[in-house]
Amino acid sequence: MRKANIWLAVFLFVLGAICLFDAVRLGFRWDPTIGPGPGYLPFYLALGVIIGTTLTIFKGIKKLKAEGPGKPLIQEGGLKPILWVLIPSTVMVSLIPILGLHVSAFVFIVFYMREVGKIEWVKCFMVGILFPVSLYIIFDRLFLIPLPSGWLGSLYTLPF
Amino acid sequence: MAENMHNLWLGISVAMQPYNFLVAMIGLVLGVIVGVLPGLGGANGVAILIPLTVAMPPIAGIILLASIYWGSLYGGSITSILFNIPGEPWSVAATFDGYPMANKGEPGRALVLAFVSHFFGAVLGVIMLSFFAPIISEFALRFGPAEIFAVMMLTFSAFVGLGGKDAVKTCVSIFLGFLLASVGMDTVTGALRLTYGSINLMGGFNFIVAVIGLFGLGEIFLTVEEGLKIEGKGGKIHLKDITSGVLEVFKEYKALILGMLVGCWMGLKPGGATPASFMAYGFAKQGSKNKEMFGKGAPDGIVAPEAAAHGAGTSAALPMITLGIPGSPTMAVIMGGLMIFGLVPGPMLFKEHADFVWGFIGSCWIGNTLGLIVVLAFAPIFASILQVRFAIIMPIIVYVCAIGAYAVNNRLIDIYYMIIFGVFGYLFKKLDYPLAPCVLALVLGDMAESALRQALLISGGSPLVLFAPPIALPLMIAAIIIFFWPSISEFLAKRKAQKSSVGPG
Repeated sequence: MRKANIWLAVFLFVLGAICLFDAVRLGFRWDPTIGPGPGYLPFYLALGVIIGTTLTIFKGIKKLKAEGPGKPLIQEGGLKPILWVLIPSTVMVSLIPILGLHVSAFVFIVFYMREVGKIEWVKCFMVGILFPVSLYIIFDRLFLIPLPSGWLGSLYTLPF
Repeated sequence: MAENMHNLWLGISVAMQPYNFLVAMIGLVLGVIVGVLPGLGGANGVAILIPLTVAMPPIAGIILLASIYWGSLYGGSITSILFNIPGEPWSVAATFDGYPMANKGEPGRALVLAFVSHFFGAVLGVIMLSFFAPIISEFALRFGPAEIFAVMMLTFSAFVGLGGKDAVKTCVSIFLGFLLASVGMDTVTGALRLTYGSINLMGGFNFIVAVIGLFGLGEIFLTVEEGLKIEGKGGKIHLKDITSGVLEVFKEYKALILGMLVGCWMGLKPGGATPASFMAYGFAKQGSKNKEMFGKGAPDGIVAPEAAAHGAGTSAALPMITLGIPGSPTMAVIMGGLMIFGLVPGPMLFKEHADFVWGFIGSCWIGNTLGLIVVLAFAPIFASILQVRFAIIMPIIVYVCAIGAYAVNNRLIDIYYMIIFGVFGYLFKKLDYPLAPCVLALVLGDMAESALRQALLISGGSPLVLFAPPIALPLMIAAIIIFFWPSISEFLAKRKAQKSSVGPG
């Protein structure tokens, strides 16, 4: 946990530095015609992030030396279920341009229920079909919010 | 005053129109479901449904969004009391005494106590909203850019000084929020900022996507890591429970009034319902005659934090609607919804769209009253949602979150952002970076920046304009005091200890 604390601060420090770089490019000084330049606020914000994370890193290192690494960031046996959510969701999102949002959600729901939940196929398919269809009707049909349909575009226009 | 009563009456009649009434009902039911499910909270429940409201008339849209919030405030307690799992952060305090009481075989009594206290908290919050909102907005009409900036400084310093988290990390979180807000086109000069030549970054980050990721997915990661185990009581509420519960709430009037006051006071400042409920619990415990009962199912241990949570939730609408400064993350999302309708919250809203504002205030009365009836009648049904296995609920939540993130701007990249925000939400929560100030900074970013730059333009670059009397100066002084409050209170306590050790000797 304490090591992760330092690493996250280092990451945010780098992020702050990248923003600082762009703010300097944009110009953060007073301009007689437009007042404060476009980089004015981002410059001080990025500076704030850099100072804040530096303090956090130093405090973190001091604590790490004094008290050891402490508990792990992710509790034992916790990483697997998290990845079981993270990876399938990312895969689902990357399938959207091909299958469309509702069909990739169907794949995701059935996969997760079956693999992680060990639920019978029939139930998986029931939930996997029921929810995308009802959400399709609510969003795409009733409220006319077009959600991505991917290559199956023409199928989605089928009247229900 | 008479005029306000008249306006309020008009507002209530708007909220009672059949269509608006139906919308409020749907919002409440959805809100309670959102509140019951851990991993879906008020803030992202509202965020997901914002796209749907675009197709509605503005007043119905805001009623829907607000009703989801009221519903989730009520619903969080159901999970806390029956299952010992807080459905929402503000209902953590309800597990302390609510679950023990339910465990002793009185789940109905605990639920009724919680719901009725919620209602009373809401009533005080809505009364404040109805009678102070016109006064405050009248006063705020005199605000210039410097004053608006000062109010925002007050808001953010409250997070640092009163949030109770690491001050440095809170500051970093605020700065990151503002930085995220500044990605994209600069509103004053039109320059592209922090985009590094990427077309995707040119559109900037939408805070609704951030809310869905940080609060929605982040919460899901936390939930699956801990491995959700649900063992609970069925919570049947009999008619007898209701009448005796109402009487019991009145018997605990001290805890009730304490909770209501603490809640409404905390709701005005950002931070909102969660710290309010903890604070009220602490005070109630200190002042109670039967201290040893606390933690074992004391009725006043339920009444105080629950009244405070709902009081804070409703009074958070007051700064949002009058000043454009939301008092809680959920209110920030509701404000974002208003902005989509082209209604910018702030003092001008009262002048230009008085009918809309009073309709909203009227709906707060109706929504909270209706909410009480809904949860009293259907608590066991809502509780049974939790019997459904998380392996079924989880993918559906992710799916719904993805729809919400996409529909904001119809951009696929937003769904990827949502996942990235989710990972950061998880890390930030684990490593004690507060999320609410980051989200609020992202919402208020553009407004704060243009206020600051306008003020500096007016003064010709002198930062002294930010401390101009008569309005900005006291606000800034208050902001500075609140910012350093932890150190100040420590110093005062030390001095007091020194005095008392020297004094009597």
